[in-house]
Amino acid sequence: MTFKLDTESESPDRTTLHLHGRLDAQTFNDFDRAMLDVLPRVREGGTVVLDLSALEYISSAGLRSIAMIRRSMRARGGHTLLLNPQPQVRKVFDIVKAVPLQEVFANTQELDRYLDHMQRQIAGDGPTGNA
Amino acid sequence: MLFRSIASRLSLWVLAGSVTVLAVAGGVLFYQVSGQILEQAHGEATALANEAGNRIEQRLARVADTTQTLAAVMERHPEGAELMLRDALARNADLSGLAAAFVPAADNPPMSPFVDRKDDGSLRSRDLRKDSNPYWDKTWFLAGLGCPQGCWQRHFYSQSRKRELINYSVAIGRNGHPIGLINADVSLDWLGRILQELGKPKGAYAFVLDENGVYLAHDNPAMVGQHGKPDLLQALARYQATRVRLAVAQNPRAHGKPVWIYVAPIEGTRWRFGLAMPEAMIYAGVRQAFARVLALGLLALLALAAVTLAVTRRILAPLRTLASGAEQVARGALDFELPPARFPDEIGRLTHAFDRMRRELALHIAELTRNAKEQQRLASELDIAHQIQTALLPGAHYQDAHCENFQLHALLRPARAVGGDLYSYFMLNERRFCVMVGDVSDKGIPAALFMARTITLAKALAPRARSPQQLLSMLNLELCRNNDSCMFVSLLCGMLDTCTGDLAMASAGHEPPVLCDAEGARLIELDTGAALGLDEEARYPACMLQLQPGQTLMLYTDGITEATDASLQLFGTERLLACLERAPSRAAADFADGLLAEVDRFAEGAGQADDITVLALNWHHALADRNAPMLDLSINASMGDVFDTLERCDAALRAQGVPSALREDIRLVLEELMVNMVQHGHAGSADRSIDLHMRQGDDAVLIELHHDGHPFDPLQAPMPTLTGDLADADEVGGLGIHLVRAMASELSYSHDEQGNHLQLRFLHPARTEHDHDVQTGH
Repeated sequence: MTFKLDTESESPDRTTLHLHGRLDAQTFNDFDRAMLDVLPRVREGGTVVLDLSALEYISSAGLRSIAMIRRSMRARGGHTLLLNPQPQVRKVFDIVKAVPLQEVFANTQELDRYLDHMQRQIAGDGPTGNA
Repeated sequence: MLFRSIASRLSLWVLAGSVTVLAVAGGVLFYQVSGQILEQAHGEATALANEAGNRIEQRLARVADTTQTLAAVMERHPEGAELMLRDALARNADLSGLAAAFVPAADNPPMSPFVDRKDDGSLRSRDLRKDSNPYWDKTWFLAGLGCPQGCWQRHFYSQSRKRELINYSVAIGRNGHPIGLINADVSLDWLGRILQELGKPKGAYAFVLDENGVYLAHDNPAMVGQHGKPDLLQALARYQATRVRLAVAQNPRAHGKPVWIYVAPIEGTRWRFGLAMPEAMIYAGVRQAFARVLALGLLALLALAAVTLAVTRRILAPLRTLASGAEQVARGALDFELPPARFPDEIGRLTHAFDRMRRELALHIAELTRNAKEQQRLASELDIAHQIQTALLPGAHYQDAHCENFQLHALLRPARAVGGDLYSYFMLNERRFCVMVGDVSDKGIPAALFMARTITLAKALAPRARSPQQLLSMLNLELCRNNDSCMFVSLLCGMLDTCTGDLAMASAGHEPPVLCDAEGARLIELDTGAALGLDEEARYPACMLQLQPGQTLMLYTDGITEATDASLQLFGTERLLACLERAPSRAAADFADGLLAEVDRFAEGAGQADDITVLALNWHHALADRNAPMLDLSINASMGDVFDTLERCDAALRAQGVPSALREDIRLVLEELMVNMVQHGHAGSADRSIDLHMRQGDDAVLIELHHDGHPFDPLQAPMPTLTGDLADADEVGGLGIHLVRAMASELSYSHDEQGNHLQLRFLHPARTEHDHDVQTGH
């Protein structure tokens, strides 16, 4: 198995997906199918965190899958955040400028701080800066 | 020194010629004049001789008359004889004595008186009867009695009077009988005196000869009484001539010189008068005159020679100037002035012509100097062009540093400073080696420029060419462009797989290569296309060959096969093959050098007519492949095979110790490309295949991908629109190709009838850089 997906729903607002192995032209179909199950369960306006710590490799097919998730979440007013991409993955992201830098986090602490800040913003109902 | 001057020679020759003419003319004139002179002298001398003869004759006639008168008187009056004799003697001085001698008879007078003249002039008488020696027995008396008309007796020497005498006797007749005689004595001295009294030319002498040829009188008294020379007497007797020439004179006073003798008979006697003229005397006058004329003539000729000398020197003076001018010209000094010609004669024309020649020569030399400088400049430019052209060629020797599977040796020798032959070789990539030999039509600078164009284009186009035939096609298209001068180049191009020895060749009208091995040398017959630069549509068939260890491939130009010897024989292919078979070793350098040396020996004396190029490629297959491919796969264009291949590649790279970052880059690029081929390149057919060759280079990983599907050049794909968020657009295309272009260190693409060909190169990242990346990643 070159690709594995673990889904962890901490809360209705926040779902963390742990990606393992390689996301390429061979595996992106599996990932896309899994997403069809996962994404509808995320609440409107919720957040999907893609934990890339264990993702060794991504190709353009994988990029497209991630782009689809983000488009889908954005359509539902939610966010997609990327956590801890490995060098190869980060390099690929950099080359194609796949995601805005403020949505990529090096570790869980940064991510948590960002999410807390966003929640306060929602509570305060005002615009906010990034982390 | 004297004869170095024309003037001296001319005057000397004039002098010599005039003297000769004068001498000959004088000689002829002298000969003619001397004839006349002789005739004249003959006439004068004969007249003189006749006159002298007459005068002597007159004197003798008087003697005879006196004697005859006395005889007539005596006949009647013999008694008064003595008185009469005395009287007659006194009156006639010519007589030296008179005698009246009677025959002693009864009726004759008893005495015979004789009167003679003494030396002092007085007369004396005696009676001859009283002489002890009776006269009537004497010869003279008896002979005289026989001469009633008178006759001259022989001369005799009178003892008593001590002189030579001669008698004239006349018989006294009575009744028809002689009774005595009158004898008149005449001395020969008297005769001699008469001779001397004659007016003779100086040097001439006279004589009187009696009937016996004895000199009665002679101007030289010593000759009197002698006999005349026999030849004189013979001549006189024979011709009765009035003159005779004696080659040697008898008279000692004439010193033995030739004389002319003129003879006149003396009437009344049988004597002859002779006048001798020395021949020298006859000619003396004319000789003298001629001597004077000759002397004058010589003087005149000397003067003429002097005048000739002066005039010639004056006329030839400009020639001396011209001569020294010509010597200056010979030394190379052309900057001088000639004096103006005085007259438009030959010398004037010569001066003009010489001056013009000097000016023209100066101009010509100046032009030659300019031309020489121009030539020098051209030569130095040609020299530089030669260096530049040489710099276009790679080195003469090449040994593959990577695998040492082959070595190459090339020689190029232009016939002139620059030439149209070319050779070139270079590595196309880590594995493929390109080699070519070509020959541009024509020679010299145009060929050299076209050669430079060809070799540069070939180098530029080669990396894009998959095969020699493709390279030739591309090169042909480029060379056809703007080729108004219709230059063309024949080219043989080979691409060698340096790992396997596989050789692909294509020829554009070039000489077939020769393959040499242990079995000998043979031509590789390959189909050739048109020479490059002529036909844009030209196609070039390929020829495949695998080199075996020990084989040598010889490429050459027609400078080898068309080299000619002194008898215009071509070197030809047979000699080429024979020479290569005889090669002493299998080294590439020996093949090339040996062949060139053989051609030089063959063409010795004929000169090199065409550029010569030889290239020998010797295949060793010496070393195990250090560049052996890590992977050499051919797969179906399907997703499953693609990902299997990716795994195998990854494993192979890991086995080679390739760092993981690079492995991931390679994997990404290969995945993108191959997935692209599978998804978009099938061109409607399911059985497309992908070839993958991967090998490890020194500093890079080299990968070739071949796909027989739809042409697709990743380099030409449009850049994707990158907004910074892929989710902004519905579907972003070209991401994979963008990644490929970003990741591969080098990427080249070509397409031919066999499909798409991609060449990729991934440089090894420096080790430190790699470590750093890993650390920052965590």
